[in-house]
Amino acid sequence: MARPHIEPFVDRDVPFKKMTLPGFPKGMHYKMLSLDTDTGACSMTVMYENGYRQPPGMSYADMELFIMSGYLETDEKRYTPGTYFWVPPGVHLPELRAPRGCVALMFYNYAEPSFVESDSDHPLAERDNLTIVNSYEDMHWTSTNFFPATASGCLVKVLRFDQRTQAFTFLYCMTPNFWQDNISYHDCAEEAYHIWGTSWMMQFGNLPTGGYFWRPPYINHGAFACKLGTLALGRTDSQLYNHFHFNPWSTPEENRERAASRILSWKPELYRWIEQQGGHNHPHVPNDFEYPDQGDPHAIAHAHGVPHDHGDGHHHHEHEEKPKRRGRRRKR
Amino acid sequence: MVKVIEHKVSREVKAWLKKEAVEQKARYKKIVADQEALSPKRDKWVAEFLERIQTRGFNVHADMLRKIPASEIPKKPRRKFKVVF
Repeated sequence: MARPHIEPFVDRDVPFKKMTLPGFPKGMHYKMLSLDTDTGACSMTVMYENGYRQPPGMSYADMELFIMSGYLETDEKRYTPGTYFWVPPGVHLPELRAPRGCVALMFYNYAEPSFVESDSDHPLAERDNLTIVNSYEDMHWTSTNFFPATASGCLVKVLRFDQRTQAFTFLYCMTPNFWQDNISYHDCAEEAYHIWGTSWMMQFGNLPTGGYFWRPPYINHGAFACKLGTLALGRTDSQLYNHFHFNPWSTPEENRERAASRILSWKPELYRWIEQQGGHNHPHVPNDFEYPDQGDPHAIAHAHGVPHDHGDGHHHHEHEEKPKRRGRRRKR
Repeated sequence: MVKVIEHKVSREVKAWLKKEAVEQKARYKKIVADQEALSPKRDKWVAEFLERIQTRGFNVHADMLRKIPASEIPKKPRRKFKVVF
């Protein structure tokens, strides 16, 4: 299984643990927020001790880091609270120091945390994708540009947007006395951490400072309210669409079916075309001319959890050639 | 875009992942139990929500509100009401 539904979880309730994974320098502590038990991808709150030093190095998987308190510095720059890093796999960072300690959020999207000392990039590194931005100092709040939209008083700063999957990482806030009376679910997994403040959801109650959730797709959340304001970091793993409704008891299966039905209403031609490819319920993945090297469509469909059958109720994984008979064929 | 650079996962790393997975399982069980205990309060919140969307309105989009007629209010099904999956 990937990541389970962790909601709500408050990291203030648990102590930091020493990071003991090979490669990571001493002086780093963490609290596990959620973990993909298949790949090792995970989200953590991390604390660097006073005087922490991390030599120049890189990770085998992409890494996101958001500084919540304290600061990190290199020889050239100081990274203060609100600074967000997206470091692609293999891109090396210079020596990082935390002279007075630092608390941050750390995310690995596709593999377990890793750190390898290196003063140069890996040959596969895509340095042009490295993102470092101070979201508190250098960005303005904007309204959420998703339609249908959240109610007034929920504002965002988009820190990273993946143009392929439309996954994004964003800072969001809810103003004091925010409320929104609907129930929402999404086609994507959604994750958030409360940097400061308490908000309320009808299913889960109050989520305070240090509150966290990893929510798989199609799970109801909301109505929403916030008395005194909230500042949080959110992430999705693909496009976020607000499927609003008012049935508190609908299940994820019912929600998914509704979402599919809605796509049929919104894009009937495209829906039918996709459905009819192959002549049976085959997980056909149309080619994207922008990404011709995306791989075997069949394998991709399975990786996205798309089953298929041939109308007999059986789930067939492969279309292998039939095994050849041993022995000679009888002549007719 | 490269998602992961191929590398060997050491025995130490596998052991770390295994330990974290066990702890996560325990964390998940506690969440389910805590949310189960919240059921009476949740039932009250749901009743208040269903009342509000009939009087003040349901947020269709942003601040656009629609008052939901009583005939459209869903009825609680017999199955167990789960919020953590």
